[in-house]
Amino acid sequence: MTAVDNLSLEVDTGAIFGLVGPNGAGKTTTMKILAALLTPTSGRAWIAGEDVSTNPSRVRQLVGYMPDFFGVYDDLKVDEYLDFYAASYGIPVRERRMIIGDLLELVDLSHKRQAYVDSLSRGMKQRLCLARSLVHDPALLILDEPASGLDPRARVEMRELLKELKAMGKTIIISSHILPELAELCTHIGIMEAGQLVINGTNEEIVEHTRTGRILQIKVMNQADGAALILQEELGLTEMPFLNNCLDIPFSGSDEDLNRILTRMIKDGIPVISFSEGKNNLEDIFMQVTKGVVQ
Amino acid sequence: MKRLVLNPVLDKEFRSRMRTWKSPLLISLYLGTLALITLGYYWTQQQRIYYSGFGPDVGPQIYVTLTIFQLMLVSFVTPAFTAGVISGEREKQTLDLLICTRLSAISIILNKLMASIAYILLLIISSLPFFGVVYFFGGILLSELAQIFLVYLMTALTFGAVGVFCSTIFRKTQVSVVVTYVIVFFFLAGTAAITAFLVNVRPNFGGVPVIAYLNPLVALYSTFPGSFARGLPLNFAPGPSGAVGANVTSLQPWQYNFIGDGIIIVVLLFIAILLLDPVGRFSRLKRWFKRKKKVQVDSGEISKKIDTESTENYEGH
Repeated sequence: MTAVDNLSLEVDTGAIFGLVGPNGAGKTTTMKILAALLTPTSGRAWIAGEDVSTNPSRVRQLVGYMPDFFGVYDDLKVDEYLDFYAASYGIPVRERRMIIGDLLELVDLSHKRQAYVDSLSRGMKQRLCLARSLVHDPALLILDEPASGLDPRARVEMRELLKELKAMGKTIIISSHILPELAELCTHIGIMEAGQLVINGTNEEIVEHTRTGRILQIKVMNQADGAALILQEELGLTEMPFLNNCLDIPFSGSDEDLNRILTRMIKDGIPVISFSEGKNNLEDIFMQVTKGVVQ
Repeated sequence: MKRLVLNPVLDKEFRSRMRTWKSPLLISLYLGTLALITLGYYWTQQQRIYYSGFGPDVGPQIYVTLTIFQLMLVSFVTPAFTAGVISGEREKQTLDLLICTRLSAISIILNKLMASIAYILLLIISSLPFFGVVYFFGGILLSELAQIFLVYLMTALTFGAVGVFCSTIFRKTQVSVVVTYVIVFFFLAGTAAITAFLVNVRPNFGGVPVIAYLNPLVALYSTFPGSFARGLPLNFAPGPSGAVGANVTSLQPWQYNFIGDGIIIVVLLFIAILLLDPVGRFSRLKRWFKRKKKVQVDSGEISKKIDTESTENYEGH
């Protein structure tokens, strides 16, 4: 079985690349190849110009990897845990103390410094693992489902943390099933299905690429029938189903047409609350470009 | 080299191992078992001397009993410590995180083994006071005791390497532990059975089959002072028969055992190191071969060039 097939993509320095796809799409395999944990049967991958297969040790120094499922050494304390990994990256003792303090502050675990890892909540362990992936100050972060299994509060905390890392200028490749959050965080999106990259580009490019036409969103206080009549006359459509005084319809006209419709509604005394052009969100795009194929 | 020895893996293993209540409990159980044997034997001898006094063979007998029992304990404990060192990391889902660091596969494997062996050494060293009892009765030299401890160390290293190898090969710790114990059992009993079989099948062959020297009990037995061996079933003529010839007399059986163990340790650890890192393993070897080939090609071209130049020079003359 081929986990990832014919995948070709480039992530710019400083970009936040969101990898989206159903379970079994090949996201984790792709990430493991980039983290120098798997060798591709064919093809090459480079991180900052270093070939992942031929120079794994250099690549590992450049990459901070956080897997979707990970374990922790329960019998170590929080600072010992980070110290172990910092030492494993060859960081000198003096620097380690400072780095650990900074990282614990970043992930808001300073108060748990002397606590055993075993005693931390799931959300805290996720944050600790993120801190672990940062101990050697990597240029690229590969985060596989960093918010999976977290409660809403922990998820918000994780999102804020990722925004902070984004502000710090880290390049991040992140996978997640929570598409609205990903859309908010990422500069670039790639959608995978059955081991193949279905679509890839900046958020705007993807929206543009998947756009099938304009979407008109109208909300009125009341008189939905009156609004429907105007739209029928202006757009030549036979049915105009308002639901709870709201309407979403595909629209192929120009900006002038929009202006004319809105002016007429106001002139006819329709109490319009909102009149806007809707955009496809990431969930819509995801549903549009994927076929639900599972390997 | 410094990075290889003063390694975070070793540090973490020591810290984790000595932090729980399991370690002192195991040391207590280990020493308690040895104490029971020593005191039990001493007590039976005391009952006997009521009639006839301590015999001259009491010290050696305690020594033989203790050393054999300790070897069995080392053989039993070592797989338990080593057969889960890598598969355990895999099961805990911490192996990928470890491989992701700058630690090399060599460093991870060797330090995992060293941490386990260090703990077994602690058990062996803590048993030293029991051997003091043997000195009470006399008949044993310090050098002989040192040989015995070398046999323990080598046995622990061999079975430890088997454990680490199985732990790298098998994904599940349970499978790894079972296979390691089977292999250890083969070393202890299987080699003896095969030896007995070969000796019976070919009585005129002379000497002892090579496989007998893999048995740590043979190595242990050969370190006993000559008088101790009296009455024991096999007469181990020095030098393995067959391969090198029965008349090789330069080495003692325990030395052959060390050579065999050394080869096994190196081979098993080498394979474990290759298998541990999925990206670094063969690519590194491949790169090495490529470099070597390139160097050969380059040197070939250079020598060709030199030949051409020298021919030209010669012609120029």
